[in-house]
Amino acid sequence: MNWFCFVWTVLFSMVWQCPAAPSTPSPTAPGSTAQDEVECPSNCVLLIYSNRSTSEAQDPLVMTSTELNPDHYEAQRAAHAVRYYLNTLYGTPFRQLSFSKVHQARTEDLGEAGMKYLLEISVKDSLNKSSEKLCSAEVVYPRGETQQPPKVQISCAASLQLNTSAEEEDFYKRYSAADSAVSGKDIPDSYGHVDPEMVPFWKLAGVASTFIMLNESNENTLYNLAQVAKITQLESQNGQLRLEYVVLLHDMISQEIIRWKMLVSWSPAEGVKVSDTQLLPKCHCKPPTP
Amino acid sequence: MILLWEAKMKGLLVLLAVSVAVFAKESFVGDQVLRITAKSETELVLLKELSQLEHLKLDFWTEPVEESLPVDIRVPFHSLQPVRAFLAYHEIHYNIMIEDLQALVDMEQREMINTRAPEPRSTDDFDYANYHTLSEINSFIDLLVRENPNLVSKVVIGQSYEGRALNVLKFSTGANRPGLWIDTGIHSREWVTQASGTWFAKKIVTGYGTDAALTAILDKFDIFLEIVTNPDGFQYTHSSNRMWRKTRKPNSGSSCVGVDPNRNWDAGFGGSGSSNSPCSETYRGPYAHSEPEVKAIVDFVKSHGNLKAFVSIHSYSQMLLYPYGYTRTPCKDQAELHELAKKAVTDLKSLYGTSYKYGSIITTIYQASGGTIDWTYDQGIKYSYTFELRDTGLYGFLLPARQIIPTAEETWLALMAIMEHTKNNS
Repeated sequence: MNWFCFVWTVLFSMVWQCPAAPSTPSPTAPGSTAQDEVECPSNCVLLIYSNRSTSEAQDPLVMTSTELNPDHYEAQRAAHAVRYYLNTLYGTPFRQLSFSKVHQARTEDLGEAGMKYLLEISVKDSLNKSSEKLCSAEVVYPRGETQQPPKVQISCAASLQLNTSAEEEDFYKRYSAADSAVSGKDIPDSYGHVDPEMVPFWKLAGVASTFIMLNESNENTLYNLAQVAKITQLESQNGQLRLEYVVLLHDMISQEIIRWKMLVSWSPAEGVKVSDTQLLPKCHCKPPTP
Repeated sequence: MILLWEAKMKGLLVLLAVSVAVFAKESFVGDQVLRITAKSETELVLLKELSQLEHLKLDFWTEPVEESLPVDIRVPFHSLQPVRAFLAYHEIHYNIMIEDLQALVDMEQREMINTRAPEPRSTDDFDYANYHTLSEINSFIDLLVRENPNLVSKVVIGQSYEGRALNVLKFSTGANRPGLWIDTGIHSREWVTQASGTWFAKKIVTGYGTDAALTAILDKFDIFLEIVTNPDGFQYTHSSNRMWRKTRKPNSGSSCVGVDPNRNWDAGFGGSGSSNSPCSETYRGPYAHSEPEVKAIVDFVKSHGNLKAFVSIHSYSQMLLYPYGYTRTPCKDQAELHELAKKAVTDLKSLYGTSYKYGSIITTIYQASGGTIDWTYDQGIKYSYTFELRDTGLYGFLLPARQIIPTAEETWLALMAIMEHTKNNS
């Protein structure tokens, strides 16, 4: 008899459609990554994230001029700064630069002028996966109480210059149409999935984020793009595609997820430009009292 | 709108038919459902007469009540010819609503089976190539135990802050054995680790008796596997915030929730490499072992007293790390742990070419105080390691599900290297 009731219930539910359960967190849930504007419920508190606290959390690095283990974190963090720099110059929705290995690394203490890292790194180009370029790079982290971006130089910069690809032109034309209004959220989703159509927008977010990451880098940070929280296409201006992004950046050292809003414009001719960056406060919500 | 209503009515009527069928086990092969809308009083009277003809065994789903209201009749196969003849003779117009009732019933039955929530009936049906909820993993744990009662048992070592069971799978082939510990999911957003943990559990049961190296290990050691080490956090990553890392215990005097369970251990507790702010992702907690999720493991380790290896699994970064995180002083077994790490990552790389860095926590990734394996090492568990699984930042915590099994498979090779070395040196 119980089985009969079950069958009935299941068939019944097929006739009357139940509303589908939401698959992403509700936008009003506290701490949800689906939020873009700072909409904290009333039992929550807004906290401006301060990345100055990370330098308290770590013992100060002690070195003058030293040979570094290229696999250890000091050299790795500097190599990431080079990665950010390269992408601000040459990154596009269809081309990203990274490094596969640090071969050699050492530091030079420049005193007041800062700490210089000298690296030999293999640069990878997503457009040409089979070959890597061995480059020499320098990263100078300034000294001081307030965050200032490191200055980066790399020997092989000129050789990384490339012409626009057909793929870029097609993408640009397609989304330059007057009625184009791309939007999206939570990319990748919780399961790591990215809609194929959204992949270039995801990659563009990665490139654009490197502008912020480079600005925010110091010897105690290591940033990756964790997720695109929100993307909204704005009206094109002066031949540039324009998109407003809210991105979540992950800092490996503090383990914080930091929310940034930014305005990104791109065209094959002009490359990626980032403006109006805005650090978004974090919601901290106490769980409901039982 | 009407069509929708009609469709729903049809559905409801089919539902009725199926339920009748289920209950009475009747067959509807060849039966049709005809719809007639009487256009006059005369036609209505005729339909009422038709309904009196018992030998036809007509089943009126709606009665002939008044003109303009449709009358639905289930006509058994054998009565179709006489009924159609009757209707044609009296020039009563009809529509065939359902041409073959049994076919429709069969189709609905099939759909019903498919739309039922797929609860795996065995761990062979479990989808290892996908991410799962807390309840799905707990069901998996119970299934695995039920399927392998001589090898696997569930040990509940405590309760999370929100009252969830802290479940540990014990794989054992004999009594009073030394143990090897593996935990995944201590940081809840690192989803590839819990997913890999379920794969490891299945690997152990299928490998015992078939894989010589694993069998040799299990004939000397018990393996303890805690798949969801931070269940409150894990639930929260599903319900509210995919990027949640810490526990879910409120902090008094603060609106910020949670403690970093990998800064809460009594090893260099309170030093640089953790935060004293409850709002921080690396908040160490009010005191060492303040978190029940941590205390439960501490109590288990101490009462067991004979663990020989302890592996705590995280993501991401692709690293294999040994103590210490809280101090630059090398641990006394540094040389051996370094060599073993080298072998483990070489084995890992052999499968899919995935490159791992290795070294002590503090030199390789960052300073971290109050960490798990610093404590377990100082308790005398020499082979204490932390993994950071795939990837190196492209997807980070949001690793695509298609990478779960390759990650688990390659990591398993490294775990085997560690467990084998432990066996040969204990």
